[in-house]
Amino acid sequence: MPSISTLNSSQFLLKTTFFFFFFFSISIFSLVNARSIKSTHHHSIELDESLTYLWPLPAQFTSGNDTLTVDPNLTLDLTGNSGSGGGSVVVEEAFERYKKIIFKHGSKLAKSGEYFDVNRVSVIVHSDNDELQLGVDESYSLLVTKSNERSIIGGVSIEANSVYGALRGLETLSQLCKFDYGVKTVQIHKAPWFIQDKPRFAYRGLLLDTSRHYLPIEIIKQIIESMSYAKLNVLHWHIIDEESFPLEVPSYPNLWKGAYIKSERYTVEDAIEIVDFAKMRGINVMAEVDVPGHAESWGAGYPDLWPSPSCKEPLDVSKNYTFDVIAGILADMRKIFPFELFHLGGDEVNTTCWTTTPHVKQWLQDHNMTAKDAYQYFVLKAQEIAISHNWTPVNWEETFNNFPSKLNPRTVVHNWLRGDVCAKAVASGFRCIWSNQGYWYLDHLDAPWEEVYYAEPLEGIKSISEQNLVLGGEVCMWGETADASNVQQTIWPRAAAAAERLWSDKETTSSRNTTSTALQRLEYFRCLLTRRGVPAAPVTNFYARRPPLGPGSCYEQ
Amino acid sequence: MGKFGLRSVLLFAVVVHILVISVAADIKNLKIWPMPLSVSYGHRNLQLSNEFVLKTEGSKYPDASGILKEGFSRLLDIIKVAHVVDTNFSYDGPSPVLKGIQVVVLSPSDELQYGVDESYNLTIPEKGNPAFAYLTAKTVYGALHGFQTFSQACHFNLTTRSIEVHQVPWTIVDRPRFSYRGLLIDTSRHYLPLPVILKVIDSMAYAKLNVLHWHIVDTQSFPLEIPSFPKLWDGAYSSSERYTVADASEIVRYAGRRGINVLAELDVPGHAKSWGIGYPSLWPSKNCQEPLDVSSDFTFKLIDGILSDFSKIFKYKFVHLGGDEVDTSCWTLTPRISKWLKQHRLNGTSAYEYFVLRAQKIALSHGYEIINWEETFNNFGNKLSPKTIVHNWLGGGVAQQVTAAGLRCIVSNQDKWYLDHIDTTWQDFYSNEPLTNITKPEQQRLVIGGEVCMWGEHIDGSNIETTIWPRAAAAAERLWTAYDNIAKNPEQAVRRLAYFRCLLNQRGVASGPLTGGGRAAPDEPGSCYEQ
Repeated sequence: MPSISTLNSSQFLLKTTFFFFFFFSISIFSLVNARSIKSTHHHSIELDESLTYLWPLPAQFTSGNDTLTVDPNLTLDLTGNSGSGGGSVVVEEAFERYKKIIFKHGSKLAKSGEYFDVNRVSVIVHSDNDELQLGVDESYSLLVTKSNERSIIGGVSIEANSVYGALRGLETLSQLCKFDYGVKTVQIHKAPWFIQDKPRFAYRGLLLDTSRHYLPIEIIKQIIESMSYAKLNVLHWHIIDEESFPLEVPSYPNLWKGAYIKSERYTVEDAIEIVDFAKMRGINVMAEVDVPGHAESWGAGYPDLWPSPSCKEPLDVSKNYTFDVIAGILADMRKIFPFELFHLGGDEVNTTCWTTTPHVKQWLQDHNMTAKDAYQYFVLKAQEIAISHNWTPVNWEETFNNFPSKLNPRTVVHNWLRGDVCAKAVASGFRCIWSNQGYWYLDHLDAPWEEVYYAEPLEGIKSISEQNLVLGGEVCMWGETADASNVQQTIWPRAAAAAERLWSDKETTSSRNTTSTALQRLEYFRCLLTRRGVPAAPVTNFYARRPPLGPGSCYEQ
Repeated sequence: MGKFGLRSVLLFAVVVHILVISVAADIKNLKIWPMPLSVSYGHRNLQLSNEFVLKTEGSKYPDASGILKEGFSRLLDIIKVAHVVDTNFSYDGPSPVLKGIQVVVLSPSDELQYGVDESYNLTIPEKGNPAFAYLTAKTVYGALHGFQTFSQACHFNLTTRSIEVHQVPWTIVDRPRFSYRGLLIDTSRHYLPLPVILKVIDSMAYAKLNVLHWHIVDTQSFPLEIPSFPKLWDGAYSSSERYTVADASEIVRYAGRRGINVLAELDVPGHAKSWGIGYPSLWPSKNCQEPLDVSSDFTFKLIDGILSDFSKIFKYKFVHLGGDEVDTSCWTLTPRISKWLKQHRLNGTSAYEYFVLRAQKIALSHGYEIINWEETFNNFGNKLSPKTIVHNWLGGGVAQQVTAAGLRCIVSNQDKWYLDHIDTTWQDFYSNEPLTNITKPEQQRLVIGGEVCMWGEHIDGSNIETTIWPRAAAAAERLWTAYDNIAKNPEQAVRRLAYFRCLLNQRGVASGPLTGGGRAAPDEPGSCYEQ
């Protein structure tokens, strides 16, 4: 059989285009004509085979009735244009990671001469650009067919426009591979698979808060790795807050004194390591410096930043020094964080310390400003600094709620308080990220999975042009009661519910009568996470991160 | 060296003596968990070389299996896990560089059996040209413990971005107080995926625990493949919540390379309902499914088959046969069995004894010594095989009776060492003394150690680590550390344990805060070291 690598990509595209039409007709059919295999065993839990256990569900797919065996010595055949850039490393390393995941029951060594249906994964990437930016093309097509001599595109192939699309395809492929305990071989059921997939939203985020509790690097890496399983693509790193300042800032080294303790700090190299680790998994890191309201810890190293030693927050608006420090922090951070979005916070600003501290009060009077004016002045000045570093500023919604017309038009408004803010922000022409706290604040332990799942970022936004301004959404893991011991079981599986909302078609996730299907599939994905070593909590407990209620199968809890 | 040598030896002896004494008063500054037998340390720092090497000249252990080399490579991983180390950093400061560690293992064998010598001596000099740490041990497993201790002396320097050994010179002489230091996991109430179990094993090694008691099967599910009786696997929760023989062998292999034995348990006859999914004739009847049918020879044929398969996987000299919580009413209520009892002049209790003893004989025939839960001793202690180890769980005082009867004992009294009791604090775990009220040395020797039990009713892949740690570490010090070195008031150990808990977190282990009982969430923002 001719090797796929000998084909040029235009030939391949032709074939996939053909299959693409094929999908459209069949995928609907296969969804409707769902057949249910009854359990043959009264004790053992059998999965409803009519469901597709892929999370998040791909945009389009068809499946068949074949079972393919997968060779433990699976090889990668990477072609296309990615070889010239750094992209090939991204794909090669991902392939090795997924091999470990797929073959973790390294039980049976392949006997020589043993036949497997699948022994190679062909990956074709059309771009040599491995830059990871907002809106990078994450689409891919995945074909899983039995190779035979007549079919030129037999076997497993992934085709994508960027290496990051190829990563998403590898994740999907890994979810199709299942270890069969009977024959002790990894199998792909319901082949042939034809999958054409792309995300619904470009921004699919998870916030981590390392100020309320320091999260060791190893834990952050575990979380980033798990994000890639759910195809999330932005780690919003809320690095600093009132409680502690764990990141090294070379320009203002005393800021580090705001860390809880010496060992609860991140060096510049640590932060770069996190960014690089995330990039290898197609995940951007958006850093946050939350000014002026959540910055008390800055003053541990530079007390002048406090309005006074007895009134420490917000940062002193009256001093140029404050903005010098912000400029220094941002200049240092720019060397670490290449993502085009940078979060400047701006939430929960209580200006009392400004109006009660004599020298700040005097300054307000001198400048003919109210406290609210000063809040606006502060936020806009910080925005200018970020923009001067070629960053697009992201701000929490209070900035928009208070002075929408003054914000830089490039601002991305980050919703959290109320459900209708994104609708208002996009109506004013701003872009928006949706994180309604009622549903997508993971520290709200009383938001069960259905509420997370059915929360819709485009709620109330009718026009297409306005919808397009919603970049996506983010689930927020605020750290007041989450540390290394429980952060992952608080994140998962609820973050996965949001991840499907953000990746899959609205039709897939919005039909209320799919509750049962979504639940079973999410339970399956939660077990998949635990099988990969990720501490994901039971799905159906009302309160998050609670233990299972009693003995039972993972697939029912 | 001559005269000078003699004098310096003398001087050395005096210095060591002084330091050891000073340690006793200055224990708060130590960050080693569990506390070694004897420690002396200084106040200087050594730079760890970027090319820190393992030297084995003089070692009689050939390391053909690579256990030592792998242990060393894991050592490098864990000391570098907290921060990115600057590998280009070239140090030319005042303190000298530690070039490597020389490991001398005296025994060529790496057989891991009960009572294997786990002692080690570790010295880390103040200077040298070049300077090497020196680790000697009788066996490679002692050397692995030495690596763990060494890793805890290493710290990241934020200025130089490199690893330093603090408080040199170190002289550590160490060995465990008890040779059995266990942790039970339960894969029947909830299936624990392979990576979860392997990670628990990694974390056990950090605390120098050395037995993974694998409570594989119970009433709820039968996850392990048994080639002799393949339908037993039908008792798994689902087609994928299973372990193949190869999976089990991998767990044993993985643990063994970390100096940890795997104790397999087959809890008969009272916790075995799931067996009947594949072989319903093991149930007394369809509606009375437990204990296993005592009247049927097939029951014992099956136990024989399982233990035969076990013996190919589990090489530890002990097998656990359970024997707890046997409610015999299904035997007396099922006509067929009730008749059989009468024929054999047995009542429920004597049939229970008959079952346990017959199972013991089968285990002995496969070369195993037996561990049974304490009810077997409480009911018919004088009938048990003298090779039996009695596993205490119900309450205190049992070890005293067991050892008085001349049997060996493992302590796991549920009020202090059951990890599923989440309201039991780390202080309770720390204070639980296995030799309470056992004063005669010959009786003390029969207490082979203790075990903390992570029963799985409310435990799965999501919360097992945070329910185990840090409380298991408190028990680990109780079991490892010489009695005189154990803090008489647990509060004297709180800072050291907090440090160890944060160390676990740095290494990616989800250990919970010290405040509260098991798996408590932190109450509020704050430093790991204070929660």
